[in-house]
Amino acid sequence: MGQFVQYLINGVISGGILALIALGIVSVFKATKVVNFAHGHLILFGAYFYFTFAVMLPEAAFMPDWVRSWEPEWLVAYRADAPSFSPKAAIASWISDVPRILLGLAGALAANALLALLIERLVMRPLLGQSTFAMILSTVGLIWVLEGSAGLIWTAEAEQVPSLGPNFPIRFELFGANLFLFSGSLFNLLIALALFAALMLVLRYTRSGVAIRATAEDQSTAYAMGINVPRVFSSAWLIASTTGAVAGAILATRTGLSPAIGLFGLSVLAVVLMGGLDSFAGVLLASMLIGVLQAMTQWKLGGEYAEIVPYVAVLIVILIRPHGFLGQEEIERI
Amino acid sequence: MITGHYKTRYTADEGIWSTWPKQAGLVAALVALAVLPLIANNYVLLLAGQIAIFIIAVVGLNVLVGYTGLMSLGHGAFFAIGAYTTVAVHHEFPNTFPLITLLISIAVAAAFGVLFGLPSLRVKGLYLAVATLSANFIVLFLIRQEWLAEWTGGVSGTETPNAVLFGYELRSQRAQYYFIVPIMLIMLLFAQNLFRTRFGRALIAIRDKDYSAEILGISLYSHKLKSFAISAAYCGAAGCLWAYFFPAILPEDFGLNMSITLVVCLVAGGMGRTLGPVFGTVLILLVPEILKIVFANVTDGDANAQMLFSPMRDIAFGVLIIGFLIFEPMGLVSIWDRFWRFVDRWPFSK
Repeated sequence: MGQFVQYLINGVISGGILALIALGIVSVFKATKVVNFAHGHLILFGAYFYFTFAVMLPEAAFMPDWVRSWEPEWLVAYRADAPSFSPKAAIASWISDVPRILLGLAGALAANALLALLIERLVMRPLLGQSTFAMILSTVGLIWVLEGSAGLIWTAEAEQVPSLGPNFPIRFELFGANLFLFSGSLFNLLIALALFAALMLVLRYTRSGVAIRATAEDQSTAYAMGINVPRVFSSAWLIASTTGAVAGAILATRTGLSPAIGLFGLSVLAVVLMGGLDSFAGVLLASMLIGVLQAMTQWKLGGEYAEIVPYVAVLIVILIRPHGFLGQEEIERI
Repeated sequence: MITGHYKTRYTADEGIWSTWPKQAGLVAALVALAVLPLIANNYVLLLAGQIAIFIIAVVGLNVLVGYTGLMSLGHGAFFAIGAYTTVAVHHEFPNTFPLITLLISIAVAAAFGVLFGLPSLRVKGLYLAVATLSANFIVLFLIRQEWLAEWTGGVSGTETPNAVLFGYELRSQRAQYYFIVPIMLIMLLFAQNLFRTRFGRALIAIRDKDYSAEILGISLYSHKLKSFAISAAYCGAAGCLWAYFFPAILPEDFGLNMSITLVVCLVAGGMGRTLGPVFGTVLILLVPEILKIVFANVTDGDANAQMLFSPMRDIAFGVLIIGFLIFEPMGLVSIWDRFWRFVDRWPFSK
């Protein structure tokens, strides 16, 4: 039982990250009807940008010392009486990292937003009104362009990046078993869920959120009501790229930087289809389900089986419910 | 439409090689294919064999994507099934006649094609693309498993047999070439003829509007599955020839990259035409080689620069596919058509 809870916790944590990634795919689909196969590679860029701004840039000679590691006097005093490997020490070392984490996040968000605007303008805009097939293929083409460019720009692999939150193990007892998790992962989960919730609120209550939902409902009517539809497209890509940048940073802290992050994005596509392409709630449900299923598979069958869990699950769900758990059924007109 | 051809009978309209430029072109192409091994070196023949095998696979993909309008991002799996079936058959019966192995590979791949095609009865477009993509991952996962390793070699791949025709082992690139290219030509001819039949036209009807086709009395159920089977059979044949052609195979050879490459070849060439896959495959497979030569000349064989080659190739592929989609969505074959239309109408053409 204890083991079960342990893997359940692991599953929920990775499910949260899946949800954060899926968020980007869904928001782009809702606004523009484009399913972004290259979202994983957008995340890959987010991860590399985070690495660039949080690790490479602070190391540069022209940056002031306090960016590299911030050591105000009170922090030195605080650290002095903290035993090593204690939560206190972990928090202290996190605080001294805060400037570069913030720099990294800000840089990754800005750079990824710029990248997404570029993609939207250069690739997606000219293909407006083309078939689904052309849209899918152009994002598939993007996969290669992004992967190749990442390979040209960054040669680093499996580099360490600073964790977003203070990272210390939390141990507790439940059902007579010792469980533990890293506070860093808990922090990541909270960030993911907070972003998810924030986006929901934005879509529901703000003016631009309503514009996005109106465009998702019916493009030409949205046009007729005076909504600037191309700008809605841009903002959908912005949402995807910025949430993707955060997801990339989280993934980089979890598994290290490597091109495999891009491939991970493809498995999230399976999760999204499972939940229903146009339903945020369905996607959240599917992410949690896949996260937990993956953790359970890892527990019972081993890591390699866990890799194909999303693909098997999506095949089964598509066969039974072609539009996912909560996706809207498309009505075809003859 | 002004075509410049005066036809008086339906048979003339239906003919594949009805006009003299087409006949001359066919003869010229056949002569060129037959003579190529006599003048080319091994490097060129290796490339030619690879292109011929890919053409078979892309023609198969064209049956499904180009003619039936079903999307697939998982055809690398059928390729893998064909290749591993060949290896397994030779593992059990070492002296099987290659053409029999080819038929077995085709049959096994077609059976898997029907299995993979099942989602196509429920979903299409994007959902089918992801379903086939998932199937591709699952097939490769199975191939990597320990308990199949006796036949597949597992993660580390396996050595593949050489084809033995009437006691003569096809070792050299040249011999392999003469084995592969005739098979490719027969399969091309079959695909071209398939779409002059009732069945082929039914597939085209499904592509254009599936419910209209159903109203006309075409069973979507059986036609979609048959289309999947034929398409998979082509890829299975390609996989079988691939296993004979190369000394060893790895599961990774048949991953997502191969599936996407097949689609890229199809898009670059032009969907729904028999010549499309031919042009597309030649272009897409030659691009890395041309890049390699240009790269070696520019960098003078610098080892550090060689590291950049693979990313550059990826970018070139990506730019090609996006470029074709934006500027020439019908592929190379439409350029070819425009050229011949110009020739046909000359001197009245603009």
